[in-house]
Amino acid sequence: MRTIAQPSALHGVQTDMTAAAVLDYDAELMLRVKEGDESSFALLLGKHRAPVIHFLYRMVRNHAIAEELAQEVFLRVYRSRATYEPTAKFTTWLFRITTHMALNWLRDGKNEKMQARPDDETGEARAHEAPDKRPSVEQRLLYQVKLDEVRRAVSSLPGKQRAAVLMHKYEEMEYSQIAKVLGCSESAVKSLLFRAYETLRARLAHMV
Amino acid sequence: MRCPIETHEGAGLLLDFCTRKLDPDTAAVLDRHMESCAACREFVHGQQAVWEALDGWEAAPVSPDFNRRFFRRVESEERRGRWTGLRPILLRPALAVAAALVVLIAGTLLDQPPPRTETAIEVEQVVTTLEDMDMLRVFTL
Repeated sequence: MRTIAQPSALHGVQTDMTAAAVLDYDAELMLRVKEGDESSFALLLGKHRAPVIHFLYRMVRNHAIAEELAQEVFLRVYRSRATYEPTAKFTTWLFRITTHMALNWLRDGKNEKMQARPDDETGEARAHEAPDKRPSVEQRLLYQVKLDEVRRAVSSLPGKQRAAVLMHKYEEMEYSQIAKVLGCSESAVKSLLFRAYETLRARLAHMV
Repeated sequence: MRCPIETHEGAGLLLDFCTRKLDPDTAAVLDRHMESCAACREFVHGQQAVWEALDGWEAAPVSPDFNRRFFRRVESEERRGRWTGLRPILLRPALAVAAALVVLIAGTLLDQPPPRTETAIEVEQVVTTLEDMDMLRVFTL
């Protein structure tokens, strides 16, 4: 396995940080990766793998596929280190690649088999159990039914709407950032979200 | 105040209101508007329900060997990349040696007299036989 240098070793990296200084810390780390500092890539991977995998998981509804796609996303980021230029926020760039991968996967129809056979997500229900107050079987079943309804409702959205909702809700991205990720205008994002939430309200409003 | 629900921009305001992203002043204006607007109240109520429902959907944790698998892929790709990078360097002398061998073999083959064909051998045999017969005829005379 690759030896990962300690973060303190980052200080030794000689690189021109002027462009990245005005940007985010992640872009700065990516510039260090460009200079050959692989420990910075390990930091980026550690920080962003969970949001990327969770986003992909909610897009494709299969954990193994989500992780496989995430591996491909980070591999693409790593491959393009030599040509990386911090022209946008790092997460914008990362999620542009991630969304592209997910939408391609959905478009290629690879999801047909998986839609019929999504993950057994009962583990999620178990994750909600507090150790001190265990829910009854009935409560667990009810929770499972609700969760399934949420998943189905989100999956019923067209790819771009789904991606917009997931970035807005779970990644808490601003409209401007979602617009950059999806390559459209801010008003187009608002329109996408409006239509998506309209569908979700119609399907899920009765749940609360 | 114009009802925000009438435009997508305004609906964006209502979404921000639900997620508490609005500044206090704008939120207060919206609050006052909703006291008299049933449509906006319904929108916000429905949106909050969606928000709560989505909150319940937690993703499974990341596999513990995710990083290990990733770096293994990077290493294997780099190994392949090194080979791909070295291939032209290694292939260039090999091609030169192969070309020299081809020239050497061709030269050797061209330098040798052409092998006699079967027809030539047959003609030669007939000529020899006729000469022998002529000689015998001379002796018998």
